[in-house]
Amino acid sequence: MTHNTIKKITSKTLIYLVLILHSIMIIAPLLLMILSSLKKSRAIFQEPFGLPKPVHWGNFEKLFVQQNYLSYFANSIIVTLFALATIIVFASLASYAIGKYSFKGNAQVYTFFILGLMIPIRLGTINIMQMFITMDLFNKLLALVIVYAAMGIPAGIMILTGFIRDIPDELSDAARIDGCSETGIFIRIIVPLLSPAIVVAAVYNLMPIWNDFWFPLVLINKDQLSTIPLATARLFGKHETDFGLLYAILTAAAIPPIALFVGLSKYFIKGLTSGAVKG
Amino acid sequence: MKRTRIVWLVLALLMVGTLIWAGGGKEAASDDSGAVVLRYTSLRTEDQERENSKNAEFTKLFPNIKIQFEAIKDTEYDTVLKTSLETGVAADIVMLRSFDGGRQIYDGGYLVELNDIIPGMHDTFTANSIATWATEDGVMYGVPYFGSITGVWYNIDIFNKYGLKEPETWAEFIAICEKLKNAGETVFAHGTKDQWAITETLYCDLGPNFYGGEDSRQKLMAKEIKYTDPKFVKAYEKIGELVKYFPSGYQGIDYVTMQQMFLNEQAAMFIAGSWELGIIRDAEVNAGWFPPPVEKKGDPLHYAFYADLALGINKNTEHMEEAIEFLKWVASPDHAKLLANALPGMFPTLKIHYDIDDALALEIIESTQMSHVVPTGQLMWEKLSLEEPSGETLQNEAVQRFLNGTFTAKQAVEYVQKGLDTWYFK
Amino acid sequence: MIRTRKRRYYLLLYLAPAAILYAVFMLIPILQSLRYSLFTGRGLVPDEFVGFDNYVKLFTQFPFRDRFINVLKNNFYYFALVMVFQNAFGFVLAILITRKIKGSKQFKTLFFIPTALSAVIVGFIFKLVLNPVWGIFNIALKSLGLEVLIRSWLGDPTIALPVLAIVTAWHNIGIPVIFFTAGIDSISVDLVEASRIDGVSVWGEIRHIIIPILAPIIGIVTILTFVGNFSEFEIVYSMQSVYGNPEYSTDIFGALFYRTTFGSQVNSVNDVGLGATIASVMFIIIFLGVTLIQRFSKRRT
Repeated sequence: MTHNTIKKITSKTLIYLVLILHSIMIIAPLLLMILSSLKKSRAIFQEPFGLPKPVHWGNFEKLFVQQNYLSYFANSIIVTLFALATIIVFASLASYAIGKYSFKGNAQVYTFFILGLMIPIRLGTINIMQMFITMDLFNKLLALVIVYAAMGIPAGIMILTGFIRDIPDELSDAARIDGCSETGIFIRIIVPLLSPAIVVAAVYNLMPIWNDFWFPLVLINKDQLSTIPLATARLFGKHETDFGLLYAILTAAAIPPIALFVGLSKYFIKGLTSGAVKG
Repeated sequence: MKRTRIVWLVLALLMVGTLIWAGGGKEAASDDSGAVVLRYTSLRTEDQERENSKNAEFTKLFPNIKIQFEAIKDTEYDTVLKTSLETGVAADIVMLRSFDGGRQIYDGGYLVELNDIIPGMHDTFTANSIATWATEDGVMYGVPYFGSITGVWYNIDIFNKYGLKEPETWAEFIAICEKLKNAGETVFAHGTKDQWAITETLYCDLGPNFYGGEDSRQKLMAKEIKYTDPKFVKAYEKIGELVKYFPSGYQGIDYVTMQQMFLNEQAAMFIAGSWELGIIRDAEVNAGWFPPPVEKKGDPLHYAFYADLALGINKNTEHMEEAIEFLKWVASPDHAKLLANALPGMFPTLKIHYDIDDALALEIIESTQMSHVVPTGQLMWEKLSLEEPSGETLQNEAVQRFLNGTFTAKQAVEYVQKGLDTWYFK
Repeated sequence: MIRTRKRRYYLLLYLAPAAILYAVFMLIPILQSLRYSLFTGRGLVPDEFVGFDNYVKLFTQFPFRDRFINVLKNNFYYFALVMVFQNAFGFVLAILITRKIKGSKQFKTLFFIPTALSAVIVGFIFKLVLNPVWGIFNIALKSLGLEVLIRSWLGDPTIALPVLAIVTAWHNIGIPVIFFTAGIDSISVDLVEASRIDGVSVWGEIRHIIIPILAPIIGIVTILTFVGNFSEFEIVYSMQSVYGNPEYSTDIFGALFYRTTFGSQVNSVNDVGLGATIASVMFIIIFLGVTLIQRFSKRRT
C-alpha cells in the first residue's frame, strides 16, 4: 500500500515536472519578447533577462505614432470579418442543402467540398494572382476577403453539416405544414438552432485568416493595405537594427491573437475536434 | 424571429458597404495642399530620413511636387518591384540595380527611354555608369544614382589600442588579424548567413586583387577564360584565410548582425561597402577605411568601384511630367552635390568635380584615384546573370559553401562553372 | 412535402454560392497550375507551350535537379522531425494531461497559445532568440554554465533544419495535444477501469487501448502535419530567407515554389512556368501522401 502510494506520488510529480517544464518552454520566449519590447535597445543587450526598469514605452510609441500601426490592424479586422461573414453565409446555406436535402450525388457534393481541406490553396497562387489582376483587384483588400472565403468554405461546411444533420427533421416539416416558405424555414428554424455551430465554424476559421502571411505577401504590396502579418514582416525588415522596436513589433502582433484565443478557447477546441472526433 | 432577420439584414448591408470600400480605395495622388505626390521606391531602408531631407530640396524648387520615399528591404525589393510593375501598381520612380537586374526590368517593357527626355547625361555622368543602364544600341533607361566602393571599415579606437596601421599588403592585413585575435578581440564583424553579403563584400571586395580584377571580369564575360581559371581559385583560397578570424558561430551571422556588431564596436573590422557610412555616422563610431590589400607592394590595386543603383521612370506613371522633372533634377550636378553630402558614402558617378564635406567620404573617394588603382565591378552582374541559373546565384552559393567549409576552392569554382555551362558557355 | 421543381431550385440556390466561390478561387486555380506547368514565358502568364520541358528541367538539369532532390529530402526529413517533436511529444503530453491531475484544462490552453500566432511572427521571435551574437538563447546557456552546448543554431547546415522543426513543433504542438486529449477523453471510463483491474500496466494501456482507439485521430493529425509541412513557407522565410539558408539546408517546397515563381534577390530570374511545375509536383506529393496515410490509418483500425 505504502509502496503504491509512493509510486503514485512520484509518478504524479514526474507528470507535473514534464508539464511545467514544457509550460516554461512555451512562456519563456513570449515573456522575454514582451519584456524586451519595454526596454531600450541597449538594455536588451546589457540585461537580457532583467525586468525593464524603468518601463520604456518608446518602442510602442514609435510603432503606433510613427508607423501608423493601427491602420494595419484595421485592415486585418476588415479582411477577417468579411471573410468570416462570407464563409458563414455561404457555408451554412450549402450545409443545409447537403445535410437536409436528400438528392442524388449528395455524398459526392460533400466530398467535393471536403477535398479542399486536404489541398493547400497556395498551390493555385499563380492563377489566383492572375485573376485578381484581370479583375483589377490586385492590391485591394477585397482580393484577400475573396481568397480567404474560398479557403474557409471547406472547413465551414464540414463543421456546419455535422451540426445540421443532428437537427431533427420534425421541426422544419412542421413549419412547412404551417405554410412557412423554404427561405423562411432556413432563416427562422435552422439558423437559430445553428448559431452555436456558426460560432464554432467562425472561430475555427478566424486564426488561419488573421494569421495568413502568404496571400498578403503575394497580393498586396501597398504598405497602407498590409495586414498585421505582412506589416510585421515589412517593419521587421525595415527596422532590423532597432532591437527594442523589433520586439515591440512582434509583441503588438502577438498579443491580440493570444488574447482572442484565450477568450474563445472553448470554441476553438470544439471546432478543432468536431471534425476529428466525429470521424 | 424578427430580431434575427434584422441582424442578418444589418450584416448583409455592412458587408456590401465595406466590400465596396475595400474594393475601391484609389489612392489620393495629391495631398491636401494640392501638390502632386510622386512615389519613389528604393531598396535602401536605411536612408529614409536622409532621402527625405534631400528630396525636400527638390520640393523647394518645385513646390507642387512632393516626393514620397518608399523603401523595401533589399532582399525583397526585386520581387516586389517586378510584381508591382507587372500588376500596374508600381511607384512612379523606381530604383534599378545595375546591369542585368535593371536590364530585366527594361526588357520587361516597364521603363521610359530617357535619351530625349533627359538631355546632357553624357556631359554629366561617366560613360561607364551610363552604359550600366543602357542597351547595346545606346538606349538609356536609368539615371545613374550612385556608385559604391567596397573595402574594409575599421574601428580606429581598437586599432590605436594595439598600435595598428592601415595595411597595404595581404601579409600586413593577416598580421593585424593575428594580433587582434591573440589579444582576444573580435577581428571581423562577419558571417556567412546572408549569401549576397559574402559575395558582394568579400569575394568581390577582397578577391579582385587575386583574380585579376577588371581584366578577368571582361575575359570571363567574353568567354575567354572560365570561372575554373586558377586566378579565381586563388581568390577563394585567399578569402578563405580569413575564416579563422571570423567570430564564433559566424555561419549564423547575417548582414544586419554584421552591421550591428561593427556599429556597437564589438568588432575591429567590417568588410563592406562605402554605403555604410551613413549609419556609421549615425552611430558615431570612430571608423576608418582602407582599400582591399594587394598581394605585394607595387601591385596594381583592383578596387571595386562600380555604378550600383540608378533611377528609372515607370512607363505607366500617371505623373509623367513630374517624374521627368524629378529625374532631370537627379541628373543635375546640383543633386550630385546634395546626394554626396546628404547620403555620405554614396558617390555620384560624375565626370565633373563635386565637393564632399564628409572627411571620410572624401578619403574613400580619393583612395580610388591613386595611381595604381584599376577600378572594377561586381563579377557576375553583367551578362552573366540574365538567365537561370544566374551567375550571381551560383557564386553566392559557392562562396557560402566554401567559407562554411563544405566546398574546397576547386569545388566552388567548378560548381559555378557547371551552372554557367548550362546556358552562358553553351 | 415540397414539389421537386421547387426543391431543385432551392437546392441550387443554397449550393451555388459556396460551390462557385470555392471552385473559382480554389479548385480551378490549383488545376490551372497543372496546366501552366506545360508552358513557359517571362512574366506572370506563361504563354509558350513546351510540353514536359519544365519537368525535364526540374528532374534532370543542373542545378534545378539538385535543388529539387535537396528539397524533396529536406521536406521528408522535416516532416519526420515534426512528427517526433510535435506529434509524438504532443501525444505524450496528452497522455499526461489526461491522467487525473489538477489544472489539465489550463495546461491545454497554455500549450495552444503559440498556435494562435502567425508562423512569420513565431519565426521572427526565434530568429532573434537564436542570433549567435546577442540571441537570448545562447546567453541563457552561458549563464547556466552550459557553454559547451552553444551552437550556431541557424547557421550550421547540419542542425538548421532540426532547429526549424523544433520551432514548428513549439508553434503547433497545441493541435495534437487538443486532438489527442479529446480522443482519450472519449474513451469510456469502464474500459480503462476494467483493464486496470486486470492488472494491465500503463504502457499496456497505452498500447492496447489508447493507440488503437486513437488510430483515426492519429491519422488525421498525420495528414494535417503532412499537408502543412509540404506547403510550409513562412517559417523558412522568416528565419532563413527564401534561399533556405545555410547552404539550402532548410530549403523546402514552399520556399522553392515561391523563389522560382516570384524571383528573389539580386540578379535572379523568375520563371512562372517552372513555378507551376513545382506546385504540380507538390500537389501530386500531397495527394499521394494523404491517400497513403489514410489507407494506412484505416487498416490499423
